[in-house]
Amino acid sequence: MASAGPMPSSGGRRSLDAEINLVPFIDLLSVCICFLLMTAVWTQISTVQVKQSHGTEAGEAGEYELNVQFSNAQTVALELKKKGRAYKKASFKADDFKALLGSMDGQITTWLAPLVKDPAAPSPVTAAMVTPKADVTYGDLVSTMDVLRKHQIVNLGVVPVAEGK
Amino acid sequence: MSLTANTLKPGVFAHHLSGRGKNKRFRRGMLSSLMLTPMVDMFSLLVIFLLQAFSASPELLVMMKGVTLPSAITGKEIKDAPVIAVAPTGIFLDQKEVGPTEQVLKDPTELLKRLHDLRKQWLMGHSGESFSGEITLQAHKEIPSTTISQLMGILPSAHYGSIQLAVISGG
Repeated sequence: MASAGPMPSSGGRRSLDAEINLVPFIDLLSVCICFLLMTAVWTQISTVQVKQSHGTEAGEAGEYELNVQFSNAQTVALELKKKGRAYKKASFKADDFKALLGSMDGQITTWLAPLVKDPAAPSPVTAAMVTPKADVTYGDLVSTMDVLRKHQIVNLGVVPVAEGK
Repeated sequence: MSLTANTLKPGVFAHHLSGRGKNKRFRRGMLSSLMLTPMVDMFSLLVIFLLQAFSASPELLVMMKGVTLPSAITGKEIKDAPVIAVAPTGIFLDQKEVGPTEQVLKDPTELLKRLHDLRKQWLMGHSGESFSGEITLQAHKEIPSTTISQLMGILPSAHYGSIQLAVISGG
Protein backbone atom coordinates (compact mmCIF):
# COMPACT_ATOMS: atom_id res chain seq x y z
CA MET A 1 0.00 0.00 0.00
CA ALA A 2 1.27 3.44 -0.92
CA SER A 3 2.41 5.47 2.02
CA ALA A 4 4.63 8.41 2.58
CA GLY A 5 6.74 9.03 5.64
CA PRO A 6 10.26 8.94 7.04
CA MET A 7 12.18 5.70 7.52
CA PRO A 8 11.98 4.32 11.10
CA SER A 9 14.82 5.42 13.31
CA SER A 10 17.49 2.88 14.02
CA GLY A 11 17.98 3.88 17.66
CA GLY A 12 15.30 1.51 18.89
CA ARG A 13 12.91 4.25 19.93
CA ARG A 14 9.52 4.60 18.25
CA SER A 15 9.58 7.38 15.71
CA LEU A 16 7.37 10.37 16.51
CA ASP A 17 6.66 10.92 12.80
CA ALA A 18 3.61 9.15 11.49
CA GLU A 19 3.19 7.84 7.99
CA ILE A 20 0.44 9.16 5.76
CA ASN A 21 -1.54 6.52 3.97
CA LEU A 22 -1.64 7.93 0.48
CA VAL A 23 -4.56 5.92 -0.87
CA PRO A 24 -7.22 7.24 1.57
CA PHE A 25 -5.63 10.68 1.30
CA ILE A 26 -6.03 10.68 -2.50
CA ASP A 27 -9.55 9.26 -2.10
CA LEU A 28 -10.47 12.11 0.23
CA LEU A 29 -9.01 14.71 -2.14
CA SER A 30 -10.89 13.18 -5.08
CA VAL A 31 -14.19 13.22 -3.17
CA CYS A 32 -13.54 16.84 -2.13
CA ILE A 33 -12.85 17.82 -5.75
CA CYS A 34 -16.00 16.06 -7.00
CA PHE A 35 -18.18 17.68 -4.32
CA LEU A 36 -16.76 21.16 -4.90
CA LEU A 37 -17.02 20.84 -8.68
CA MET A 38 -20.66 19.83 -8.42
CA THR A 39 -21.65 22.55 -5.96
CA ALA A 40 -19.62 25.38 -7.53
CA VAL A 41 -21.60 28.32 -8.94
CA TRP A 42 -20.05 29.25 -12.25
CA THR A 43 -22.39 32.07 -13.31
CA GLN A 44 -22.03 35.07 -11.04
CA ILE A 45 -25.19 37.11 -10.79
CA SER A 46 -24.80 40.76 -9.87
CA THR A 47 -27.02 43.83 -10.09
CA VAL A 48 -27.11 47.23 -11.76
CA GLN A 49 -28.70 49.77 -9.45
CA VAL A 50 -31.41 52.05 -10.85
CA LYS A 51 -33.00 54.82 -8.82
CA GLN A 52 -36.33 55.92 -10.21
CA SER A 53 -36.47 59.64 -9.49
CA HIS A 54 -40.19 60.19 -9.17
CA GLY A 55 -41.86 58.85 -6.05
CA THR A 56 -38.61 58.63 -4.11
CA GLU A 57 -35.97 60.95 -2.75
CA ALA A 58 -33.37 59.20 -4.86
CA GLY A 59 -31.91 60.50 -8.06
CA GLU A 60 -30.85 63.93 -6.82
CA ALA A 61 -29.23 65.75 -9.70
CA GLY A 62 -25.88 67.49 -9.34
CA GLU A 63 -24.51 70.23 -11.56
CA TYR A 64 -24.50 68.10 -14.68
CA GLU A 65 -27.09 65.62 -15.86
CA LEU A 66 -27.15 63.42 -18.91
CA ASN A 67 -30.16 62.43 -20.99
CA VAL A 68 -29.97 59.41 -23.27
CA GLN A 69 -32.91 59.16 -25.63
CA PHE A 70 -33.44 56.31 -28.08
CA SER A 71 -35.43 57.03 -31.23
CA ASN A 72 -35.05 53.39 -32.25
CA ALA A 73 -32.47 50.62 -31.85
CA GLN A 74 -30.20 52.38 -34.38
CA THR A 75 -30.45 55.99 -33.24
CA VAL A 76 -29.62 57.60 -29.91
CA ALA A 77 -29.53 61.25 -28.85
CA LEU A 78 -27.36 62.48 -25.99
CA GLU A 79 -27.94 65.70 -24.12
CA LEU A 80 -25.70 67.00 -21.37
CA LYS A 81 -27.49 69.43 -19.09
CA LYS A 82 -25.80 71.96 -16.83
CA LYS A 83 -27.94 73.14 -13.92
CA GLY A 84 -31.05 71.92 -15.74
CA ARG A 85 -30.26 73.69 -19.02
CA ALA A 86 -29.10 72.12 -22.27
CA TYR A 87 -25.29 72.34 -22.41
CA LYS A 88 -24.17 69.92 -25.14
CA LYS A 89 -26.00 67.73 -27.62
CA ALA A 90 -25.09 64.91 -29.96
CA SER A 91 -26.87 62.14 -31.81
CA PHE A 92 -25.60 58.90 -33.31
CA LYS A 93 -26.82 56.40 -35.84
CA ALA A 94 -25.44 52.92 -36.42
CA ASP A 95 -26.82 49.65 -37.76
CA ASP A 96 -25.14 47.65 -35.02
CA PHE A 97 -26.11 48.36 -31.40
CA LYS A 98 -22.56 47.70 -30.18
CA ALA A 99 -21.25 50.33 -32.59
CA LEU A 100 -23.93 52.73 -31.35
CA LEU A 101 -22.82 52.14 -27.75
CA GLY A 102 -19.20 52.62 -28.81
CA SER A 103 -20.02 56.04 -30.33
CA MET A 104 -21.98 57.00 -27.23
CA ASP A 105 -19.11 55.89 -24.98
CA GLY A 106 -16.60 57.94 -27.00
CA GLN A 107 -18.80 61.05 -26.87
CA ILE A 108 -19.31 60.83 -23.11
CA THR A 109 -15.55 60.41 -22.65
CA THR A 110 -14.96 63.54 -24.78
CA TRP A 111 -17.52 65.55 -22.83
CA LEU A 112 -16.29 64.42 -19.43
CA ALA A 113 -12.55 64.91 -20.12
CA PRO A 114 -12.49 68.73 -19.59
CA LEU A 115 -14.92 68.49 -16.65
CA VAL A 116 -12.88 65.95 -14.68
CA LYS A 117 -10.05 67.73 -12.85
CA ASP A 118 -9.11 64.93 -10.51
CA PRO A 119 -9.44 61.38 -11.93
CA ALA A 120 -9.88 60.01 -8.40
CA ALA A 121 -12.80 62.35 -7.69
CA PRO A 122 -16.36 61.25 -8.45
CA SER A 123 -17.77 62.05 -11.89
CA PRO A 124 -19.19 65.60 -12.27
CA VAL A 125 -22.17 64.04 -14.04
CA THR A 126 -24.07 62.46 -11.20
CA ALA A 127 -27.34 61.47 -12.83
CA ALA A 128 -28.54 60.13 -16.15
CA MET A 129 -32.00 59.40 -17.48
CA VAL A 130 -32.53 56.86 -20.24
CA THR A 131 -35.60 57.03 -22.46
CA PRO A 132 -36.14 53.64 -24.11
CA LYS A 133 -38.08 52.65 -27.25
CA ALA A 134 -40.10 49.54 -28.00
CA ASP A 135 -37.55 48.06 -30.44
CA VAL A 136 -34.71 48.48 -27.94
CA THR A 137 -34.52 45.28 -25.93
CA TYR A 138 -34.01 45.09 -22.17
CA GLY A 139 -30.54 43.62 -22.81
CA ASP A 140 -29.65 46.72 -24.87
CA LEU A 141 -31.00 48.97 -22.12
CA VAL A 142 -28.78 47.25 -19.55
CA SER A 143 -25.77 47.58 -21.90
CA THR A 144 -26.49 51.34 -22.17
CA MET A 145 -26.61 51.63 -18.38
CA ASP A 146 -23.41 49.63 -18.18
CA VAL A 147 -21.68 52.25 -20.37
CA LEU A 148 -23.03 55.05 -18.15
CA ARG A 149 -21.90 53.30 -14.97
CA LYS A 150 -18.47 52.82 -16.52
CA HIS A 151 -18.23 56.64 -16.50
CA GLN A 152 -19.12 56.59 -12.77
CA ILE A 153 -22.60 57.98 -13.38
CA VAL A 154 -24.25 56.34 -10.41
CA ASN A 155 -27.78 57.74 -10.31
CA LEU A 156 -29.46 56.08 -13.26
CA GLY A 157 -33.13 56.38 -14.05
CA VAL A 158 -35.41 55.05 -16.76
CA VAL A 159 -38.25 57.13 -18.16
CA PRO A 160 -41.46 55.06 -18.24
CA VAL A 161 -42.51 54.83 -21.89
CA ALA A 162 -45.77 53.17 -22.95
CA GLU A 163 -45.64 50.07 -25.17
CA GLY A 164 -45.30 50.80 -28.88
CA LYS A 165 -44.16 54.41 -28.41
CA MET B 1 -1.31 -7.76 -34.25
CA SER B 2 -3.95 -10.33 -33.29
CA LEU B 3 -5.02 -10.80 -29.71
CA THR B 4 -5.10 -14.31 -28.40
CA ALA B 5 -5.77 -15.73 -24.97
CA ASN B 6 -2.04 -16.17 -24.53
CA THR B 7 -1.33 -12.53 -25.36
CA LEU B 8 -3.70 -11.35 -22.66
CA LYS B 9 -2.21 -13.41 -19.86
CA PRO B 10 -1.25 -10.99 -17.05
CA GLY B 11 2.49 -11.50 -17.22
CA VAL B 12 2.73 -11.50 -21.01
CA PHE B 13 0.51 -8.46 -21.41
CA ALA B 14 2.43 -6.42 -18.83
CA HIS B 15 5.67 -7.46 -20.45
CA HIS B 16 4.35 -6.35 -23.81
CA LEU B 17 3.10 -3.01 -22.48
CA SER B 18 6.30 -2.24 -20.65
CA GLY B 19 8.14 -2.56 -23.94
CA ARG B 20 10.65 -5.12 -22.87
CA GLY B 21 9.64 -7.48 -25.62
CA LYS B 22 11.64 -8.19 -28.68
CA ASN B 23 9.56 -5.89 -30.88
CA LYS B 24 11.62 -2.74 -31.25
CA ARG B 25 8.61 -0.65 -32.29
CA PHE B 26 7.56 -0.58 -28.63
CA ARG B 27 10.77 0.76 -27.21
CA ARG B 28 8.97 3.27 -25.00
CA GLY B 29 6.95 1.43 -22.45
CA MET B 30 3.22 1.95 -22.27
CA LEU B 31 3.20 1.17 -18.59
CA SER B 32 4.55 3.99 -16.49
CA SER B 33 4.52 4.54 -12.78
CA LEU B 34 2.17 7.15 -11.38
CA MET B 35 4.01 10.14 -9.98
CA LEU B 36 2.23 10.56 -6.68
CA THR B 37 3.85 13.78 -5.48
CA PRO B 38 2.79 16.04 -8.42
CA MET B 39 -0.61 14.36 -8.47
CA VAL B 40 -1.24 15.09 -4.80
CA ASP B 41 0.08 18.63 -5.33
CA MET B 42 -2.33 19.14 -8.21
CA PHE B 43 -5.25 17.70 -6.25
CA SER B 44 -4.46 19.96 -3.30
CA LEU B 45 -4.29 23.02 -5.54
CA LEU B 46 -7.61 22.09 -7.14
CA VAL B 47 -9.24 21.69 -3.73
CA ILE B 48 -7.90 25.07 -2.58
CA PHE B 49 -9.09 26.79 -5.77
CA LEU B 50 -12.54 25.20 -5.58
CA LEU B 51 -12.86 25.99 -1.88
CA GLN B 52 -12.14 29.64 -2.65
CA ALA B 53 -14.80 29.65 -5.39
CA PHE B 54 -17.25 27.88 -3.09
CA SER B 55 -19.91 30.15 -1.75
CA ALA B 56 -21.64 29.25 1.48
CA SER B 57 -24.04 32.19 1.24
CA PRO B 58 -27.64 31.34 0.36
CA GLU B 59 -28.76 31.81 -3.21
CA LEU B 60 -30.55 35.15 -3.29
CA LEU B 61 -31.94 34.83 -6.79
CA VAL B 62 -33.80 31.87 -8.20
CA MET B 63 -33.70 31.90 -11.97
CA MET B 64 -37.14 31.76 -13.58
CA LYS B 65 -37.75 29.36 -16.43
CA GLY B 66 -37.28 30.97 -19.83
CA VAL B 67 -35.37 33.96 -18.46
CA THR B 68 -31.92 34.75 -19.84
CA LEU B 69 -30.34 37.62 -17.99
CA PRO B 70 -28.40 40.35 -19.81
CA SER B 71 -24.72 40.76 -18.97
CA ALA B 72 -22.95 43.79 -17.53
CA ILE B 73 -19.40 44.51 -16.43
CA THR B 74 -20.21 47.10 -13.76
CA GLY B 75 -22.55 44.90 -11.73
CA LYS B 76 -22.46 45.03 -7.95
CA GLU B 77 -23.12 42.39 -5.35
CA ILE B 78 -26.74 41.29 -5.13
CA LYS B 79 -28.63 42.25 -1.97
CA ASP B 80 -31.44 40.43 -0.24
CA ALA B 81 -34.69 41.97 -1.51
CA PRO B 82 -38.02 40.87 -2.99
CA VAL B 83 -37.61 39.59 -6.55
CA ILE B 84 -39.92 40.64 -9.34
CA ALA B 85 -39.45 38.57 -12.47
CA VAL B 86 -40.64 39.35 -15.99
CA ALA B 87 -40.71 36.06 -17.86
CA PRO B 88 -42.22 35.39 -21.30
CA THR B 89 -45.18 33.78 -19.46
CA GLY B 90 -45.95 36.69 -17.15
CA ILE B 91 -44.90 38.64 -14.09
CA PHE B 92 -43.90 36.86 -10.87
CA LEU B 93 -43.30 38.33 -7.43
CA ASP B 94 -41.11 36.14 -5.23
CA GLN B 95 -41.84 33.20 -7.59
CA LYS B 96 -45.62 33.62 -7.23
CA GLU B 97 -47.45 34.52 -10.42
CA VAL B 98 -49.09 37.94 -10.47
CA GLY B 99 -50.52 37.70 -13.99
CA PRO B 100 -49.73 38.08 -17.68
CA THR B 101 -47.38 41.01 -18.38
CA GLU B 102 -49.81 43.07 -20.48
CA GLN B 103 -52.62 42.66 -17.96
CA VAL B 104 -50.43 43.62 -14.99
CA LEU B 105 -49.11 46.71 -16.77
CA LYS B 106 -52.65 47.74 -17.71
CA ASP B 107 -54.04 47.20 -14.22
CA PRO B 108 -51.25 46.97 -11.60
CA THR B 109 -53.65 46.86 -8.61
CA GLU B 110 -52.83 43.24 -7.71
CA LEU B 111 -49.08 43.83 -8.03
CA LEU B 112 -49.26 46.98 -5.91
CA LYS B 113 -51.33 45.15 -3.27
CA ARG B 114 -48.76 42.38 -3.02
CA LEU B 115 -45.90 44.89 -2.87
CA HIS B 116 -47.68 46.80 -0.09
CA ASP B 117 -48.14 43.52 1.80
CA LEU B 118 -44.42 42.73 1.43
CA ARG B 119 -43.52 46.19 2.68
CA LYS B 120 -45.88 45.82 5.65
CA GLN B 121 -44.30 42.47 6.53
CA TRP B 122 -40.83 43.97 6.29
CA LEU B 123 -41.77 46.94 8.52
CA MET B 124 -43.29 44.59 11.10
CA GLY B 125 -40.10 42.54 11.21
CA HIS B 126 -37.75 45.54 11.26
CA SER B 127 -39.39 48.02 13.62
CA GLY B 128 -37.46 51.24 14.00
CA GLU B 129 -35.53 50.79 10.74
CA SER B 130 -36.17 52.89 7.67
CA PHE B 131 -37.42 51.05 4.60
CA SER B 132 -34.78 51.04 1.85
CA GLY B 133 -37.24 50.36 -0.97
CA GLU B 134 -34.94 47.87 -2.65
CA ILE B 135 -36.33 45.36 -5.10
CA THR B 136 -34.57 43.03 -7.53
CA LEU B 137 -35.86 42.98 -11.09
CA GLN B 138 -35.14 39.88 -13.12
CA ALA B 139 -36.16 40.00 -16.77
CA HIS B 140 -35.49 38.17 -20.01
CA LYS B 141 -32.98 40.12 -22.12
CA GLU B 142 -35.12 40.03 -25.28
CA ILE B 143 -38.16 41.69 -23.66
CA PRO B 144 -38.85 45.22 -25.02
CA SER B 145 -37.27 47.86 -22.81
CA THR B 146 -40.56 49.80 -22.75
CA THR B 147 -42.21 46.90 -20.86
CA ILE B 148 -39.49 47.09 -18.22
CA SER B 149 -39.63 50.90 -18.11
CA GLN B 150 -43.40 50.76 -17.48
CA LEU B 151 -42.89 48.29 -14.65
CA MET B 152 -40.11 50.44 -13.25
CA GLY B 153 -42.53 53.36 -13.33
CA ILE B 154 -45.06 51.40 -11.27
CA LEU B 155 -42.65 50.21 -8.53
CA PRO B 156 -41.93 53.64 -6.90
CA SER B 157 -45.64 54.12 -6.20
CA ALA B 158 -45.36 51.11 -3.86
CA HIS B 159 -42.27 52.71 -2.22
CA TYR B 160 -39.86 50.45 -4.12
CA GLY B 161 -37.73 53.12 -5.78
CA SER B 162 -34.32 51.46 -5.58
CA ILE B 163 -34.38 48.82 -8.29
CA GLN B 164 -31.59 46.28 -8.72
CA LEU B 165 -31.50 44.91 -12.25
CA ALA B 166 -30.24 41.33 -12.10
CA VAL B 167 -27.42 40.77 -14.60
CA ILE B 168 -24.73 38.22 -15.29
CA SER B 169 -21.29 39.51 -14.39
CA GLY B 170 -18.87 39.93 -17.24
CA GLY B 171 -19.02 41.39 -20.72
